[in-house]
Amino acid sequence: MKPPILTIIMLTVISGTMIVMTTSHWLMVWIGFEMNLLAIIPILMKKYNPRAMEAATKYFLTQATASMLLMMGIIINLLHSGQWTVSKDLNPMASIMMTTALAVKLGLAPFHFWVPEVTQGISLSSGLILLTWQKIAPLSILYQISPTINPNLLLAMAIMSVMIGGWGGLNQTQLRKIMAYSSIAHMGWMTAIMMYSPTMMILNLTIYIIMTLTTFMLLMYNSTTTTLSLSQTWNKTPLITSLILLLMMSLGGLPPLSGFIPKWMIIQELTKNEMIMMPTLLAMTALLNLYFYMRLTYTTALTMFPSNNCMKMKWRFKCTKKMIFLPPLIVMSTMLLPLTPMLSVLD
Amino acid sequence: MALVHKFLSSAYIFRKCLKPSVSSCPFLGNRFADYCSSSLQKPVAAPGKTSSQRNTEGDLQGHHQREVALDITSPEEKPEVSFDKAIKDEIKNHCRRLKDDIVNYCIGPEGRPLHEVLLEQAKVVWQFRGKEDLDKWMVTSDKTIGGRSEVFLKMGKNNQSALLYGTLSSEAPKDGESGHSGYCAMISRIPRGPFERKRSYDWSQFNTLYLRVRGDGRPWMVNIRQDTDIIQRKDQMYSYFMFTRGGPYWQEVKIPFSKFFFSNQGRIRDAQYQLLLDKISSVGFTLADKVDGPFFLEIDFIGVFADPAHTEEFAYENSPELNPRLFK
Repeated sequence: MKPPILTIIMLTVISGTMIVMTTSHWLMVWIGFEMNLLAIIPILMKKYNPRAMEAATKYFLTQATASMLLMMGIIINLLHSGQWTVSKDLNPMASIMMTTALAVKLGLAPFHFWVPEVTQGISLSSGLILLTWQKIAPLSILYQISPTINPNLLLAMAIMSVMIGGWGGLNQTQLRKIMAYSSIAHMGWMTAIMMYSPTMMILNLTIYIIMTLTTFMLLMYNSTTTTLSLSQTWNKTPLITSLILLLMMSLGGLPPLSGFIPKWMIIQELTKNEMIMMPTLLAMTALLNLYFYMRLTYTTALTMFPSNNCMKMKWRFKCTKKMIFLPPLIVMSTMLLPLTPMLSVLD
Repeated sequence: MALVHKFLSSAYIFRKCLKPSVSSCPFLGNRFADYCSSSLQKPVAAPGKTSSQRNTEGDLQGHHQREVALDITSPEEKPEVSFDKAIKDEIKNHCRRLKDDIVNYCIGPEGRPLHEVLLEQAKVVWQFRGKEDLDKWMVTSDKTIGGRSEVFLKMGKNNQSALLYGTLSSEAPKDGESGHSGYCAMISRIPRGPFERKRSYDWSQFNTLYLRVRGDGRPWMVNIRQDTDIIQRKDQMYSYFMFTRGGPYWQEVKIPFSKFFFSNQGRIRDAQYQLLLDKISSVGFTLADKVDGPFFLEIDFIGVFADPAHTEEFAYENSPELNPRLFK
């Protein structure tokens, strides 16, 4: 894509999300979502092939449906309250419709079916934007309407998302699908804590975005999309292979890595609100996620998969890809746990 | 769907017997063609049936055997007619398949441990050792559009191969709109899970298609289709040629997936795309060389393997003049 066109499209994506986050008028929220949707379509089809077109079509159809539901909720709220302001007082029916619409946009279960299909069909760079930047706008609206969301609905979606994210990623060998199911599970964790502590949801989102960005950048660095090709990275970039080990364990939420922070905080917050079964269930289903992350680590860094003699020693050659943000992202993805006491400023 | 079927047939033939052909229904007329004709036209030399003729192997090239339509049942066997029982059996069958699916999911991808799947370098996807292997394929020809070609599929000698044979006729159907005709094809059925859920093959760790065939010297085309949910993409496929030698010796054909070219609605497109191997839906063989006469193709097995010496990713490049939007 030509740089000027790419710049305009990216600016539209960014401004769409910014409009959603900063506006207090429901119509502008909807407009922001639509701008974001229409601008992300050419980014999803950056690598022009029939699969990418199918993925972009599926994404457009699901997101357009969600926008339609959102608009329906906005109109119902307008009929009952007589005003367009984004406020915490929502009509219950409008709240349910908006929650459902935002769940479709986020890929929360049971509206998660599009996430692995779309992520698998697009390139790694487009998948990076889809699984990180595109989550910000819907979560910001959920944050704003969190006091009026039906708690049963949200908790049910959270539990389903965490379970489906864990079970669904178990038998995947395609890395993009693994990241898609990881995204579904993380969205489940975020929605679980949203009603009790929206600040923890923001923390989880931030750390999730950092870790996902790092993972995608590592995969782009190695140009790998399958578990088998990732298992051969010891030959290409031995240092990156060891970093993938740390990153996968961080994604799985193992201490003392950064990924443990949101899980710890969320479980602590839920138990403070006298919920025992919910954090137990979340922690146990997180083990499923950890299992497939560890399986990736096993094939990549802990074992040397058989290769044939004609494979060249690629580590001798310098990689020409420039990933200037990779080192700080790796540090942030793995070494933020000691900064946890600073979270007290959020209180 | 079940109610429509009941309305059409007025009596559901038990699963072990054959379903009546939809194309013979007067209400639907010519709308439904016998695409899934293989299971209806396969020759069955059942010894108990007086209405069937014994098939003789004989000369593969010239001897056309009379095939028996399988919807003619012997007078000794009366099919059990029970719609409700058949529906219950169908549901039980699908529930059993769902249970097997869940158990296989717990084992690993494709029902096997992950390390087996990752370390696999060669895999036989289809082989022909029994009648049940033929059920995974369907044959079609230009008869569906009014042509005169005929194609049949049966087990070969000693049940060690499948024999695809028939007669190609390039005489165009006299319907006032078809100018060309003359094709025969054998297409694998889309793999289905419980409750007829569509599945696909993941061949992303392999890079070459391997076929053990014995032909009659005719050029065939190997077609691969990807799994898709969008209707327009059902006409898209990736093809490559397979030239058979003829003669008594088996031929091992290796076609790298990078060589497959893209076509849509039967036309090779200027814009070429790489065949992505993570969602393969079906493989097919087509004969359309405009040479009238009999043909045969014997297939032992079809497999995929990872050729470490083959490093090409895609054999074709796109031209900025023909497809400027690919270079924007």
